[in-house]
Amino acid sequence: MIAVEKLVKSYNSNRVLHGVDHTQAQGEAVVLIGPSGCGKSTFLRCLNQLEIADSGRITIGGLTIDGGHMPRTSAEREQQRQLRIRAGMVFQQFNLFPHRTVLQNITESPVVVKGISKSEAESQARELLAKVGLEKKADAYPAQLSGGQQQRVAIARALAMEPQVMLFDEPTSALDPELRDEVLRVMRQLVEEGMTMIVVTHEMQFARDMADRVLFFDGGQVTESGTPEEIFSNPKHARTREFLSKVATR
Amino acid sequence: MNDVWRLSRLVVCNFIFVLLLASRIFPVFAADHLDEIKSRGVLLWGADAEGGAPYVFPDPDKPEQLTGFEYDFAGALAAKFGVKAKMVQNQWDQLIPALDRGNFDIALNGLEITSDNQQHIIMSLPYFVYAQQIVTRKNTSGLTKLENLKGRAVGVLSATVAQRLVEQMGGADMRIYPGNVECFRDLKSERIEAVVQDLPIALYYAKPDVELKLSGEPFAPGYYGIGVRKQDTTLTAAINKAIKELSEDGTLEKICRKYGIWDQRQAGLKEYQPEAVAQRKSISTLREWPKYLPLLLRGAVTTVELSVLGMALAVTVGLLIVLMRLYAVVPLRWLARAYVEVVRGTPLLIQLFLIYYGLPQVGIKLNAFLAGVLGLGLNYAASEAENYRAGIQSIPKGQMEAAFALGMSWSQALRRVILPQALRLVIPPVTNDFIAMFKDSSIVSVITMVELTKVYGMLAMSTYDYIGLGLMTAGIYFALSYPASILAGRLEERLRYDRR
Ligand SMILES: Nc1ncnc2c1ncn2[C@@H]1O[C@H](COP(=O)(O)OP(=O)(O)O)[C@@H](O)[C@H]1O
Ligand SMILES: [Mg+2]
Repeated sequence: MIAVEKLVKSYNSNRVLHGVDHTQAQGEAVVLIGPSGCGKSTFLRCLNQLEIADSGRITIGGLTIDGGHMPRTSAEREQQRQLRIRAGMVFQQFNLFPHRTVLQNITESPVVVKGISKSEAESQARELLAKVGLEKKADAYPAQLSGGQQQRVAIARALAMEPQVMLFDEPTSALDPELRDEVLRVMRQLVEEGMTMIVVTHEMQFARDMADRVLFFDGGQVTESGTPEEIFSNPKHARTREFLSKVATR
Repeated sequence: MNDVWRLSRLVVCNFIFVLLLASRIFPVFAADHLDEIKSRGVLLWGADAEGGAPYVFPDPDKPEQLTGFEYDFAGALAAKFGVKAKMVQNQWDQLIPALDRGNFDIALNGLEITSDNQQHIIMSLPYFVYAQQIVTRKNTSGLTKLENLKGRAVGVLSATVAQRLVEQMGGADMRIYPGNVECFRDLKSERIEAVVQDLPIALYYAKPDVELKLSGEPFAPGYYGIGVRKQDTTLTAAINKAIKELSEDGTLEKICRKYGIWDQRQAGLKEYQPEAVAQRKSISTLREWPKYLPLLLRGAVTTVELSVLGMALAVTVGLLIVLMRLYAVVPLRWLARAYVEVVRGTPLLIQLFLIYYGLPQVGIKLNAFLAGVLGLGLNYAASEAENYRAGIQSIPKGQMEAAFALGMSWSQALRRVILPQALRLVIPPVTNDFIAMFKDSSIVSVITMVELTKVYGMLAMSTYDYIGLGLMTAGIYFALSYPASILAGRLEERLRYDRR
């Protein structure tokens, strides 16, 4: 479902991704852990083209894009958009559209991008809201919601585009601890439904319980990879052990 | 509603305060001025050197030095009192009110001895006999008499005998200019078909010009005199005596000959008989408002049209500029940025002159209304672009990224996510600009548009009721701009999405 080959990305002279390779099967849930600043966000942002990789190749759901340059032709831009539609993204800061109601946040893209009818989009949006437990908030504005509620709307909004892959970049980090569970519960449900996902998180319990595979990311590379059991109980590298002990004592 | 009441009370209080302040600052003068002039050693004479040839104008060879027949005449006059002459620059059509306010001792600048002028000031004995002259382009024929000008576009100088003559005749499309140079320029660029001017001006500007000609004989002769404040009777007597002496000893003739404006008409100076001026009772425009308010309102319609169209242009062009500046390829970005900097760094007045008088030289001839809308709109577009830029840049980066991540194209993200948020943010500054433009629009009177402030000026000059007309005019401006700001506030409130 996902294949990443030799992904390289620098900001000016600062090389952040050092040739990342990654493959992931359909329905697989991968949790990405690693110290701050090691390039996890950059990796996800390259996957859905918010950043353009310097080199390397990304394939999602059979659609391949090579790094190296900004899309120039309209065909290239269309490819980029198709890749983005395949990969739903959930941001740490939610990034809901404040001038739209919850329902409009969810229907906006299906209507504008996919061109489906408004009524169809709305009934689909209401189903998604029910799924994340917010059917009563359809007509609220984001500012009227708690952080946890906003993040659940953001998940519903991404799901409305029917992505093949979901990317989560620290979805609970901006939330007060007591609001994290409601978001994690939605994510657990997605894993159980067999959604292919990559989750960057510091929630080790979630990783232990739900990940099919855990990747330890360090210095712009995947340095260790395995089942939660292997990574948490028996890490091979000193850096991994060090990181896990820091996270555990936090 | 309470707010409205409180605000209007505040406005009224402020206004009264300003009036009180003004009454204290405006100088109160001694009964007569002659002694003061002599002890001061300087005679202050008010005139307008802008486009003022051959009366008083900057010497083309030495621009820091003034010259002109009135400049020489004022010097000769001052010498009779044993003092020096010093010119005080003042816009020509405001010379009489400025004299009245005490900005200078006398007004000496082609003031015609008319009963209008003598309502508020004393006119001295004449020092020059002028006549009216029609000026046309070389190839125009048939416009030799005032009556021929019916149905034609005719330029006159603001507050002149020519303006009154054309007005009284009726039936002409009269354009009123603030200065001499501009009306001849518009005559040459075929915006108007004729100019009616005092003969000395016509002789100086139009005669040497190969594209223009004096058409027909001079008509409607009259006298130039010196304006003196009503209470300055001793000064008036001294001035009259001096004029008589200068006329009899040939000084006046010598000065006029130097500037090529001495003709046989000047014999009339000796025959001049002052007429008794019937004093009209002073006009209270407030009491006679049904007569004056409609005229002001007609000007207000032009003001509204100008500012509404100007603002529509400004918000549209401003949007294009900001999109170019933020998102276009590099050379276009620079262009947009340069536009904003240049337009904001130069005066609106100059821009209007460039559009109205400059563009015809490259073959683009806009009428005054279009030029006004274009000038105001393009000028304010720079401010609107900056307003938009502040608005767009205050939208968090995550908004654009979320839109992209959902598969929107750049233009979809801009239209559906960024701009709707930014536009709500810029409603208050754009409204402020709209109200500012509303008031700024009075500047287009320099390109012959007759809008609210110009109507006010014209009526004030003929009725001399600056306060009554001023209150009415200010009231109209306020009555139009206050609802605009209330409406904008409502709109902003309705578009709020961040209430909890
Ligand atoms: N837009 C950017 N410009 C320059 N440097 C950046 C940018 N984004 C991230 N970086 C740098 O890239 C490195 C990796 O960042 P990031 O991917 O956000 O790490 P993580 O998500 O693992 O904390 C950091 O050193 C960060 O400073
Ligand atoms: Mg990060």
